[in-house]
Amino acid sequence: MPDSDNESGGPSNAEFSSPREQDRFLPIANVSRIMKKALPANAKISKDAKETVQECVSEFISFITGEASDKCQREKRKTINGDDLLWAMTTLGFEDYVEPLKLYLHKFRELEGEKAATTSASSGPQPPLHRETTPSSSTHNGAGGPVGGYGMYGGAGGGSGMIMMMGQPMYGGSPPAASSGSYPHHQMAMGGKGGAYGYGGGSSSSPSGLGR
Amino acid sequence: MEPSSQPQPMMGVGSQPYPAAAPYVPVPGSLAVPPGSQPAAAFPNPTQLSAQHQMVYQQAQQFHQQLQQQQEQQLREFWTTQMDEIKQANDFKIHTLPLARIKKIMKADEDVRMISAEAPVVFAKACEVFILELTLRSWMHTEENKRRTLQKNDIAAAITRTDIYDFLVDIIPRDEMKEEGLGHNPIVGLPPAMGAPADHGSHPYYYVPAQQVQGAGMMYGGQQGHPVTYMWQTPQGQAAEPPEEEQQQSA
Repeated sequence: MPDSDNESGGPSNAEFSSPREQDRFLPIANVSRIMKKALPANAKISKDAKETVQECVSEFISFITGEASDKCQREKRKTINGDDLLWAMTTLGFEDYVEPLKLYLHKFRELEGEKAATTSASSGPQPPLHRETTPSSSTHNGAGGPVGGYGMYGGAGGGSGMIMMMGQPMYGGSPPAASSGSYPHHQMAMGGKGGAYGYGGGSSSSPSGLGR
Repeated sequence: MEPSSQPQPMMGVGSQPYPAAAPYVPVPGSLAVPPGSQPAAAFPNPTQLSAQHQMVYQQAQQFHQQLQQQQEQQLREFWTTQMDEIKQANDFKIHTLPLARIKKIMKADEDVRMISAEAPVVFAKACEVFILELTLRSWMHTEENKRRTLQKNDIAAAITRTDIYDFLVDIIPRDEMKEEGLGHNPIVGLPPAMGAPADHGSHPYYYVPAQQVQGAGMMYGGQQGHPVTYMWQTPQGQAAEPPEEEQQQSA
């Protein structure tokens, strides 16, 4: 499958060298098809509307990716994973997206695990990296507490830091507003859900965090 | 002054054509009846004016509330549908959006080094949800204007009305935002409070996220955060409808 990506940075071969513009957007046919799913059957979509949504989606990807990349740099990690994206969406106000996507990511990992069990040779490289990423993430979360400029990290161990991280909603796309002060409001339910899903490492590191 | 020298041959009373007594008969002067001045009482009294305005205002408020409830219901159904679809998802090889293109857009940021295999998969689903929600919110504006074609200004309206879309403001042209009625209150004479939810008070959510972070945090305690936010923002969008129609007609 041409869509299957490896984690080694990815090749920079462009599908169309001359129309470089199109590489910045998702295909308009795919975008248009998804838009029609949200509209009544007799609705029509103008072409400039489709093109505008194309731009909006690319902006959405860059917006979330930038926030996730900043987080990875703070924690001295090189690879952006699914959890980083979910965290970034929470930070940037897309809380509604996190619960469905967490379920989606969970199912994806289950299927990947099944594939690994079925054909261990083909899926060999991926699972170890994911397992390595999680404890590293929790460790750096603990270390990130005093270093991070965000109030949400203050005085928190690894596990509780992650809970606060998942539960702390920040409004709009203005990090300066978030860093200006710490907000004690956090939803325990959301934190609990976070622990239930792909945060096994966080749960295990919680005792050590408290002990330290 | 009656002209006495003027002859009246058609009105001969006696046998002689010029009777000597005719000029001596005093013709009664024309009694100019003064025109009856009718007192102008066409101005309505303030009580009636106030009552009429209040009625119009109440009707507008009820319309806005019904519209908000309908749109809020649509958004709740949208999120329920998304959750159901994801629960039924079992094949991750077929994506509605190409992973290679998503990865390329992610790599456009020079700070991005390595991307795990699951990241584009998450984004493929996230972007689908994003497109669906943005299109749904845009279509609400299309329906408010009684059209069947989704246009660019509908997307501009959705971006203006929805706080989480602030990062998209640079994408829409400024005139598209003007059509939405930013910066001025188009309804003159009506109270500015257009049925805004009580929990929002009078604080605007446009472009002042810093001041409302704490309140917004409390709002987002549940999945109903965005519907509530949108519910408040609808009246202003609805209020901007009259000048928008005028501009569209002039265009």
